[in-house]
Amino acid sequence: MARVVVLRPRFPRWRMGVNVVRNGSRYLVRGALRSWTRNLGSTAPALGSMTLLLLLSGVVGLAGLAIHNVAQAEATQASVLHIYLRDDAKQEDIDSLTARLQYDPRVRSVGYTSKSEALKRAQRRPGLPELADATDGNPFPASLDVQVKQVDQVGAVDATARHDVAVDQSFPSSYDPGAYQKIQRLMIGLAVGGGAFMALLAFIAVTVTANSVRAAIIARRDEVSIMQLVGAPRWMVKGPFYVEGALTGGLAGALAAALTLGLTFLAVQAGAGNFAQVAPGVTAQVGVVAAMVIFVVGLLLGSGSSMVGLRRHLES
Amino acid sequence: MAGPQPNLAGILPALVEFAGVSRSYGQRVALDDIYYEINPGELVFLVGPSGAGKTTMLKLINREIRPTEGELWVDGLPAHRLPASRVHELRRRVGVVFQDYKLLPRMTAIENVAFALQVSDLRASDEEAHDRALDALEAVGLGDRADAFPNQLSGGQQQRVAIARAVISQPPLLICDEPTGNLDMETAWQIMDLLEDIADFGTAILVATHNVEIVRRLQRRVLTIVDGRLVRDQPAGHTGKMVWLASWS
Repeated sequence: MARVVVLRPRFPRWRMGVNVVRNGSRYLVRGALRSWTRNLGSTAPALGSMTLLLLLSGVVGLAGLAIHNVAQAEATQASVLHIYLRDDAKQEDIDSLTARLQYDPRVRSVGYTSKSEALKRAQRRPGLPELADATDGNPFPASLDVQVKQVDQVGAVDATARHDVAVDQSFPSSYDPGAYQKIQRLMIGLAVGGGAFMALLAFIAVTVTANSVRAAIIARRDEVSIMQLVGAPRWMVKGPFYVEGALTGGLAGALAAALTLGLTFLAVQAGAGNFAQVAPGVTAQVGVVAAMVIFVVGLLLGSGSSMVGLRRHLES
Repeated sequence: MAGPQPNLAGILPALVEFAGVSRSYGQRVALDDIYYEINPGELVFLVGPSGAGKTTMLKLINREIRPTEGELWVDGLPAHRLPASRVHELRRRVGVVFQDYKLLPRMTAIENVAFALQVSDLRASDEEAHDRALDALEAVGLGDRADAFPNQLSGGQQQRVAIARAVISQPPLLICDEPTGNLDMETAWQIMDLLEDIADFGTAILVATHNVEIVRRLQRRVLTIVDGRLVRDQPAGHTGKMVWLASWS
């Protein structure tokens, strides 16, 4: 029987490596880019949906941060107890009450605000200057500002102080029972609602992108089946689809990140022009971080959605 | 017409070994308790009526599906328990030719062949892939049509390109599912001559076919399956006139 023996010269290892990298990148990156461009029509809905969903997620996230900051400020405020002093309170009574509160283990610090300082503070607050100007004299009382260590101990500290002789009995303190609980309930409600909304957005984004990947697989099914038949490794068959998904997700992430960044700058500018901040705690730096997070989430969402699409439609 | 049949049985290990292989689809048994071996250089015909289990057998060899029972070894690899992550190793050892050619329409003949080489062996450079693809096309008599697209080629020419693609990686086994099914008789003979030449160089070839004329005249080994069971295994040169086969064609 005739036998053909093919003699091949020794092939340098480095050139093999170059070929592997070149061929791998060709099928992974160039193939994915070509296919992505070719299938832009079927990818566009996924791109649009993901951009919109990522933008909404970014806005919801930043709004959540602002609400969180407001709630935190309110919680901090709630742990400060203002004990209003009578206008005619004697100094020794005030000192006695101050000393008693300073020795209370539940109290972190005690400050004093005089009537004139209270007036100045009121004049810096929106709405209150008119009130201050409308009345003769100074309607704001002096107060002891007690920083309580635990917000749930404010009530107990208030109870020990409100009946003191130095305290104005008609309006003894700023203590509002249940205020902190209301804030907590609001925080939990917002967190649950926001989480559910985000989960819904993520589900929609994954479904839409997985479907676009499925469309890409269908468009390339002949090529894919031939690649599988001739023994292309799995990463090579599936890789371009991951790259396509990451491209879609990355582009959607970049668009959403740019829009979120723009909105953040607008909010910061609007906040700078008004007395009240539009979104407390949302600064330009926070916007940049949020944009980066949105971009990375877009990449991950695109690749993850591809994984879902491939698992369902390209198992060998 | 029959070429020299290399007899490598006993010298080299079997390339394909079915050992009690069964395959079911739910309650329906597609293949039942199949035993046989194919040795290097053998050209074997797989015949039987439609729905007998021929395609299932080819899919099992190429690990598109797994047996529900038994062991199936392909060039030393256990196809019956090969994980999906290693299927590509098996497929690099098995060339496949289909009735409908399955060429990529956007690629020329040489690109189709080179593509198969480069996706299965990333170490192949563009130049090497081009040269080897051209060699393969010249070997199947299509060196002068290398730059033609599939729609510019006849059915026989497209099947030659498909064969070139299947053998470019020099697999030890070639499986062909009705390779002459879409061709006229003269072209079919050309394709069979080509497959015989390939077998003569030591490649084992399993051809599923309905073409009684080819099976009868080539006098190669014939496996006959009916209702999922291997009912005959006739060695080369002992196939007789196979009149019984005509009733299924």
